[in-house]
This record gives sequence, C-alpha cells and structure tokens, in this order.
Amino acid sequence: MLTTTTVLTAAGTMLVLGLAMCAVLGWASRAFHVAVDPRVEAASAALPGANCGGCGYVGCNEYAEAVVKGADVSLCPVGGASVAAALAEIMGIEVKETAPRRPVVHCAANHSQRLGRHEYKGEQTCAAANLVAGVQGCVYGCLGLGDCVRACEYDAIHIVDGLATVDYVKCIGCSACARVCPRNIITMIPFKADQVLVVKCSNRDMGKDVTNVCKVGCIGCRSCTRLMGEVFNFDRNLPSINYDAYTASLDMSKVLEKCPMASLVWVGKPTPKHLEQTAGEVLPERIEADFKTTADQAEWRG
Amino acid sequence: MEYLAQLMLIAVAAAIINNFVLHYFVGICPFIGVSRKVDMAFGMGCAVTFVISIAAFLSWTFTYFIGRPGAPLTTFIWRQVAPGSTAVIDLSILNYIIFIFVIASSVQFVEMYLRRFFPPLFKAFGIFLPLITTNCAILFACLEIMKHVAGASDPAQIWGLDKALTLAIFGGIGFAIAITIMAGIREELDGCDVPKPLRGAGITLLVAGILAMAFMGFTGVDRGLETLILGK
Repeated sequence: MLTTTTVLTAAGTMLVLGLAMCAVLGWASRAFHVAVDPRVEAASAALPGANCGGCGYVGCNEYAEAVVKGADVSLCPVGGASVAAALAEIMGIEVKETAPRRPVVHCAANHSQRLGRHEYKGEQTCAAANLVAGVQGCVYGCLGLGDCVRACEYDAIHIVDGLATVDYVKCIGCSACARVCPRNIITMIPFKADQVLVVKCSNRDMGKDVTNVCKVGCIGCRSCTRLMGEVFNFDRNLPSINYDAYTASLDMSKVLEKCPMASLVWVGKPTPKHLEQTAGEVLPERIEADFKTTADQAEWRG
Repeated sequence: MEYLAQLMLIAVAAAIINNFVLHYFVGICPFIGVSRKVDMAFGMGCAVTFVISIAAFLSWTFTYFIGRPGAPLTTFIWRQVAPGSTAVIDLSILNYIIFIFVIASSVQFVEMYLRRFFPPLFKAFGIFLPLITTNCAILFACLEIMKHVAGASDPAQIWGLDKALTLAIFGGIGFAIAITIMAGIREELDGCDVPKPLRGAGITLLVAGILAMAFMGFTGVDRGLETLILGK
C-alpha cells in the first residue's frame, strides 16, 4: 500500500511540477520576449561559424551584430567574396569588389642569404630570439624559428630553408601568423588575382647597410618608384605597393626587369602553367602525420 | 548570538574549509574550462553564486514543503485524497530528478528575465548562464541542503531557509575564490616552460590537486571556531 501511495504521489508531483514549469516558462518566453533583428540571425547563418576572429570581432555572432549595425560586410577573410555578397544581400547594400586577404611574408632571404648570423641556443621561438641582439645581421627580416607555423591552425605556413613560406592553397586568411610575428613582417594583402606582386623585404636601412646583412634585401634604389610611381610608394628606404591602385592586369615586366635585387616577387597559388612546368620535378618526400588507428588498418573479416 | 554564530560557521565552512571545488571536487568542469583568464573566471564565479542561490531557494522550498518525509503540503493533499490514511508520504526519491529539473528551468527563466530587463548583465554573463545549468556544484549544494532538511532526525535540527541560503551563497563565493585563484595561477603558467606532455589539461589538473592540498590545511578549523564561539 505504502509503495503504491509513494509511486502515485511521486508521479502526481512530477506531473504537477512539470505542468507548472511549462506554464511559467511558456508565459515567460512571451512576457520577456526580446525582439531580435531578424537580420542578425540571417547574418550569423551566412557567416562560416568558425569563430576564428579574422574579422577583428570576437566571434561570428558578434560580427553579425556589427554588420547589422553598419560594419563593413567584407571583413570575413574565411568566407571571402561569397559571404560578403550574402551579407550585402541581407543588408540590402551593394558590395564593393572584394579580394580575399592573404598573408605575405615581407622577407625573401633564406638561411644562406642572410649574413651576420650567430649561433642562437636560447628558447627556440621568434618572440624570444627577437629580444636578443646579434642573432642575425638583419634586424627586420624573418628569424625562421616558426612562431607563425605554430600559430597556423591550417598547416598553411612552413619554414622552408629558414624562411617562413605561405602555402596559398591551404591558407584561409585568418591572419593568425600576421598577429604573432614579433617583427611584423607578415601583412595581409588583398589578392586581386591568384598571384600578386609583393615587395619581399622589410629592411629600411640604407643600401650599404642592407647589403652588409643580406644578399637579396632591397637597397632602396627607387627604380620601381621611378618607373611606376602610381603603384609604388616609397618611404624610409623601402618601396611598398599600393594595392588600391594595383590591379592584376598591370604590366609589371619593366619594373621586374629593373629591380637589381629581385626584391619584387610574385606570390600566390600556382597556375596550371606553373604546375605543368614543375610536373617533371621530383619533390622531396614530406612526412605527413599518420592519424590512423589500429582499427583503420584492421582487415574486415565480417 | 548563537544563531549568528551558527550562520557564520556554515558560511566559513562552505566558502573555505569545505570548499565545493577543492574539498568535495564538484564543479570541476567550469573550474578547468573557464579558468584561463582572471576576469572570465571571476565572472563565472559570480554567475555560479547567483544561480546557486536561486537553485538553493527553490530546492529548499521543494524539500521542505513537498519532498521530506511527512512534508506539510504532500500530507495535506494526501489527506484530501484519502481521508483517514495515516501513511507517511516520503517523496525524497524524487530529489535528484526534481533538483535537476528545477535548476534547469529556473536558469532558463532567469536567462529570459535578464535578457529582457538587464541586457548588460545578460551580455556580461553571456554563455556562462546556460552552461551553469549542468554545473554539479549547484546540484551538490541542493543535495547538501536536502540532507539537512529531509535527513534530520530531530525536527529542531531541520535547516530553515536562512541556513540553506547561507550555505548556497557562501558555497558560490567559495567557488568564485577557488576559480579566481586557479585563473591567476594559470595566467602565470603561460610564461612557464611546461614539459610538452603536460601542457593544457595535464598541468591544470596537477595545479588543481596541489591547490586542493593547500586547502586541506583548513581541515578542522571549523571545530576550533565552534569551540571558540559557542564555548562548547
């Protein structure tokens, strides 16, 4: 008798409590309803949802709110043009022509081309080595200890012969490497085509001082600025490219020919032509991480 | 005086001596998960204190009036249904499910309420509020209160709402203390050369263990305080 009583009262209590809570929550959801701008929800649905912070906001939702409040729709580096177009449609505005922003390492010197290097046995990070004088002659260039490699979550930047090299096929443009570089030589540049021309040097010293520390550094001869002043800016012994004026259709061959140090370099994804040219070459074997478990290797005997 | 002393003993015991995290090891998930930065950890501690107080109020109300053996409301209703029955209804089997149920729905309610009337507070709590729903420190506080309400053999020993709320609020403050200390240590840890296999959760758990050992030093302080204040 007692058991039945307990079971019955327990069931009754649960039922009553459940109904009461349902009623309270149902009432609350109406009484405390907050009108959310439907555009915010639409915008966060249109964003990739990776929460990488590449746009400069804390997460995709925050950026969605900012977009509705009037922020630029083309800030998402991961989504690129398609997301910008989707956001523009939600907001009912025209989208400017956008180009995906990708990192560029403004240094072209590999180990043997950098002079004045001394043995460095301290903590093997760029941030630590940057605090030590005399690790290498050039105080502007890449240290090659791989802070950017560790920052990259997409395996898109590697140290090749002492120089940080971006893999533009894998890169999504989250700018983590640019943020972490202690020498600030990685900048995000709008890629208006698969390949763009970049200045691969950051050294702002006079020509003689540059040649003392580097075999390929820019000596600041101003050839490029003289030939194409509308595209090149020149500031403190270093040219930079104005990417607002730069377009993919510009003929840069004259400047490239004239540059004595070959500091102007094309970077970007390989074109089919490049792939064809290098098709015959044997690449050194790269060891990929093997994530297989024993279960993957086991033969199926069912 | 004795009443105040009792409340104070409960408070000190809940916050420091029998710290929920470092003595009972409940609420470890937010303790490890949200202790990366001091301000975030402090926010989490405040949010937990807030929710734990509400949950304690609701669970005390449930246990006192409905859940404990011979609870007034249950007995009254049962007498209406079956007049003349002398059975003592004990609904303490429902405690766990009711507490979880009550915590989850009250957090939902509080979230909606804050969103409507205190948007800045809602924004500050952010994701923590719904996360706290599954924080076992809160369920633990409810169960501890239940133990003192339903489990007391002597009716005079049954905890009132005052004691229940003291335990809950100071338990929450104890959680905030623990998680803030932890976050401070972890911020310092960022600058240390931690061996690779221990990085991340490993070193955090080790630090938590050592911190718990430090808090073990408070064991027995409550007995001493009791003798000191009550003169027993």
